[in-house]
Amino acid sequence: MTGLRIPGAAALGIALLLALPLAAVGDYFQHLLVLWLLFALMALSLNIIVGYLGELSFGHAAFFGLGAYASAMLTVHAGLPFWFGLLASAVVAGFFGLVIGYVSLRIKGPQFAILTLGFGAILHSVFINWIDFTNGPLGITKIPPPRIPLLGFEIRDGVPFYYLVLFFLLLSAYLCRALMRSRTGRAFIAVRENDVLATSLGIDVFRTKLLGFVVATMMVGVAGCLYAHYIKVITPGLFTLHYMAPMIIMVIVGGKGTVTGPIVGALVYVVLLEVLRASGSMRMLVFSVLLTLSVIFLPGGLVSLLPKWRGQGGREKAND
Amino acid sequence: MTEPLLQVTGLTRAFGGLVAANAVNFAVHDREVVGLIGPNGAGKTTVFNMIAGSLPPSSGSLRFRGEEYAGAPAHRIAQRGIARTFQITSLFPTLSVLDNVKLGTHRHKNTGWWAAACYSAAYRREEQEVEAKADAVLAFLDMGPQRNRIAQNLAYGDQRRLEIAIALAAEPVLLLLDEPAAGMNPDEARRLTETIGRIRDTGVSVLLVEHHMRVVMGICDRIVVLNQGNKIAEGTPTAVANDPMVIRVYLGRGNGDA
Amino acid sequence: MFWDIFLQQVANGLVNGMGYVLIAVGLTLVFGVLRIVNFAHGEFYMLGAFVTFFAIKLLGVPYLAAVLLATIAVAGMGVLANQVLFKPLRREHEFTILMVSLGLSLLLANGGEIVFGADPKYIPSPFADEAVELGPVFLTWQRIIVLVAAAILIGLVYLFIRFTTMGKMMQATAQNRDGAALSGVNIDWVHTYTFALACGLAAVSGALLGPTAVIFPTIGEWAVLKAFIVVVMGGLGSMGGAVAGGLLLGIAEALGANYISIAFKDAIGYGIVVAVLLWRPAGLFVARK
Repeated sequence: MTGLRIPGAAALGIALLLALPLAAVGDYFQHLLVLWLLFALMALSLNIIVGYLGELSFGHAAFFGLGAYASAMLTVHAGLPFWFGLLASAVVAGFFGLVIGYVSLRIKGPQFAILTLGFGAILHSVFINWIDFTNGPLGITKIPPPRIPLLGFEIRDGVPFYYLVLFFLLLSAYLCRALMRSRTGRAFIAVRENDVLATSLGIDVFRTKLLGFVVATMMVGVAGCLYAHYIKVITPGLFTLHYMAPMIIMVIVGGKGTVTGPIVGALVYVVLLEVLRASGSMRMLVFSVLLTLSVIFLPGGLVSLLPKWRGQGGREKAND
Repeated sequence: MTEPLLQVTGLTRAFGGLVAANAVNFAVHDREVVGLIGPNGAGKTTVFNMIAGSLPPSSGSLRFRGEEYAGAPAHRIAQRGIARTFQITSLFPTLSVLDNVKLGTHRHKNTGWWAAACYSAAYRREEQEVEAKADAVLAFLDMGPQRNRIAQNLAYGDQRRLEIAIALAAEPVLLLLDEPAAGMNPDEARRLTETIGRIRDTGVSVLLVEHHMRVVMGICDRIVVLNQGNKIAEGTPTAVANDPMVIRVYLGRGNGDA
Repeated sequence: MFWDIFLQQVANGLVNGMGYVLIAVGLTLVFGVLRIVNFAHGEFYMLGAFVTFFAIKLLGVPYLAAVLLATIAVAGMGVLANQVLFKPLRREHEFTILMVSLGLSLLLANGGEIVFGADPKYIPSPFADEAVELGPVFLTWQRIIVLVAAAILIGLVYLFIRFTTMGKMMQATAQNRDGAALSGVNIDWVHTYTFALACGLAAVSGALLGPTAVIFPTIGEWAVLKAFIVVVMGGLGSMGGAVAGGLLLGIAEALGANYISIAFKDAIGYGIVVAVLLWRPAGLFVARK
């Protein structure tokens, strides 16, 4: 018999998320909510690599872009249905994740960050220059909205789209929680904390890292697909630091190594998006200050403040 | 005589021109504590690391439970039942004592991500077993009360015990201890000696590299002595202590630790 | 005709390559001596270019004086960044320092956009327009200056590190930080000098390379990526490696852009670094300081 164990706080959080659109006032607020969930999914996936495995990948935006383009090209150019594009996003992103992860994960230290940055930059260059295939800097437009197969209706935007993304977000969050209470998750943490000791306990460090990397890239590929079908226009800008930097910051400011951290980080980013709507630079400026402050003063991110508020400060804690 | 648990034959390792270990031969049998000693530079750590799999041999044979394993990847060797500790304290610093030990159980459990996501019966059973095993190992080492403390906050001696606990959680057949008594005061050393004895009594064989002579003499069934990469003596503690070659090279210099 | 084009490309490649080396030397210094991977290095390049620009536009200073001014000013900014961020955090985990440098990088780049404006600007240098004919090869004076200045500066840095007291202290810190501290090396001073030198070099490269194209506040991203490619090829911490790597990159890009495809010019650099990291992670010329 299988069963779902959902602790009280998480249940409350999920209920809140489910109810949120009902409180939303106006289309623009709905739009922000959808963006929040999309970014949360992106950050959650990056957290697997940065938070659980402790590897700094600067190429994650590239897999986001791959997922977006895979689905966009299949639905726009080949006329295939949405769910096929969704599947393709996960498969394409995951495949590239497998290849790039396989060659990169043996490299340690800052070279890994540079290597993944390099791969991301190569993919960007390819997508911006291979005009015949990707339409270059103009990108792909008129991406169709998702169509639910059995029910047949289209999800244009707003509330229905929110629930679509929420579904994938909750699924991913659950998978991350399950990971962290599993033997595999323990292996992830062992690899992060002390890979030599982990090896001496029989853990295949390389395979563990590769597993996390591929799952993370599949997850962000799905996020890319959803993003593409929501915004309906995508360009090679998805592959750049413009998307990569916020992703990293969301994970770290929110709290790496936790499930709620990336979701909170995404919320902070979307709030900034709204508050500093006028200036992208100002927004990133504030965000980068938050990153620096967080890394120095609050390494566990914003969610690490919560136990202190709740008065649980006394209990020694390390991670989720 | 049955095949020894660990058979080391002609084990050699060269680093460029320097031969750190030269055709070393010895064996470890069931329920035995074997000590590997020698002056600095004798090649003990090199031999130890080759046996543990963190250093590939230049040549020679390593047989564990009858199977050749020289050159196999370290995690595979660990999966076969050889556990080890490290010279410099090696733990999962930000995790609790309990979580550290739970990680030791990795090799003999099976469930993974999928089973956890499905919350299957096998998953739930294994998690219970893991926790029970971890608590049992902690109890064996008298560390029960510290189960929730964070590893990096422990005192040095406790950290060293935790390392052994993690290794024991793997239910090894052969336990390799790398200078377990380093930095220990006489009380801690005595306790360690007694613990190693109890480990042997549970059926686990132990191979230890050690400088601390009291510990070595106190618990080892046999001792292997290396000097400059070569084995120069092997036998019971008394025999080795009286071996003129050993005395000349090592013990007689008067620099054995108390 | 083939040789004319070929030689032109090689010349371009050499000039670009020396430019890349000049950008990269500071990065490899900071890593070699202080073990810090400074993502913000490109922003000091950017600041060098912009301070030069504003010194000319607002203060009416002639170009070469502006370059000098920019170098000193940005070296000072580097020292400030060190005092405020890198030195206090030097005992932290590598990851933390990397993230802090990323934060600084984003801060400077976005701050630059707000303060300087995002539109591209041209540094008015008297050397940028006139070209010189050297046999079949045409080079503007600016590019020749880049080549010569880079060679001189790198040579000076090398001599500084080899023969001066501070240079030797830097070497000692690079080889064994704790040992150096124990034998009396003032690590604080080493930190300060290294950053001053590194950021000064980045600034000079920005001031000299700036006039060969346009400058904009986010150019640091391009600069630091080039620097990373060079440094990784040469081996983190190796100056000789950086020189070799930079020249290799410059020439490979120039030839690749001309004979394969100009569109993929940047990809060539990334392709090289990926290939190098996979084949020789320690760099093509393993660092032996």
